[in-house]
Amino acid sequence: MKARRIITIIDETLLEGGRPVSPVARTAVVAAIVDNPWAGQGFVDDLSEGIEAVASELGALLAPRVIEALGVPLEAYGKAAIVGLDGEIEHGSALIHTLKFGDHFRKAAGATTLLPAVEKRGPAGVLFDIPLKHFTDATIRSHHQSFEVRIADAPHPGEILVALAGASRGRPQQRLAPLSTEQ
Amino acid sequence: MTATTTAARSSRDPVLARATALGLRRLLTTVDEVLEEGGAAAASPIRQASAIAVIRNPWADEAPLSDLSAATSEVAPLLAKLLTDRLLATLGGADAIEAYGKAAVVGLGGEIEHAGALIHTPYFGNLMREFLDGTSIICFSDSRADAGSDLRVPLWHKRQAATRSHYQSLDVHLADAPHREEIAVIAVASSGPRPHSRIGDRTTDVPVDSSVLKGLEA
Repeated sequence: MKARRIITIIDETLLEGGRPVSPVARTAVVAAIVDNPWAGQGFVDDLSEGIEAVASELGALLAPRVIEALGVPLEAYGKAAIVGLDGEIEHGSALIHTLKFGDHFRKAAGATTLLPAVEKRGPAGVLFDIPLKHFTDATIRSHHQSFEVRIADAPHPGEILVALAGASRGRPQQRLAPLSTEQ
Repeated sequence: MTATTTAARSSRDPVLARATALGLRRLLTTVDEVLEEGGAAAASPIRQASAIAVIRNPWADEAPLSDLSAATSEVAPLLAKLLTDRLLATLGGADAIEAYGKAAVVGLGGEIEHAGALIHTPYFGNLMREFLDGTSIICFSDSRADAGSDLRVPLWHKRQAATRSHYQSLDVHLADAPHREEIAVIAVASSGPRPHSRIGDRTTDVPVDSSVLKGLEA
């Protein structure tokens, strides 16, 4: 696996709705720009070889970095695969929708749930939003949130942008009734 | 310094508390590690960082063309400290920073002069130079924009601004900022020169003037 760039983003939200956020809401994203393992090969029926070559190594690269960037215990998480214009969305899904990839993050964060994800294809600089949910119970409504990202100059047509996101808490002023009150 | 210690410290940072009381809504820190460029590995991976503060425009309720000095001296030093703290923590201290730049984007309800007030006076620039151990004038961009815009912020060498290898710029995406009555203030820094800088310098340039176009006159 060859990464061209690794981008880290840390967001600290101090005010929301005009009121202080306490504790400060932290979100961290780490994105790697890698070559699409199937670039230039036409339609590849069996993606397992490329998955084997890249997915686990990519998960191992990104997971400790997002934990380190967040800097405080993680409560919500998500992931993204943005495929350059010459690839299939299936190529991005192949890199992130395997246990080989996701287990690195789950293990590092002490998490148990499936990672919510965005998968899309677009030009370099495409805007995308990474969904995040609670790390041990995806039904916890306070932690449903998303984070906007735009990386200029990525992904190129033969590349895939793969990202992990972690958040320190639920939404800054979360105050919706829990799901259980409606069941 | 790690992000962990920065996060722990920020919970009791009096500068952060003061800035929040003045309407600091968000702080964003980004790091771009460029490992490869032009198909070849960078000789030493360059790290470009940005720190962005989104704060209420101190002059949002003032009449147009009002005096800017009081709020400038109050707000700009706080932002210089918070932003350079994040650049230093991210890149590993002033010794690891070779180039810098700055920017401000005022929301649609403000004057372009409001953006300039927060970055173009000694209350911001002198502190940024001091904290990052630089001497050069800090290059910049400023604009007025709606939330969600993108900005490319220039950087040059922090002690020798004319060092050509360090001319570079950094893309910044301002998601959900600045709102109409806000200003986004940005400080950027880089660990080194462009990945494969090789366009010479003033010391190696041959004399060049318009005679190089000889024979192509209309």
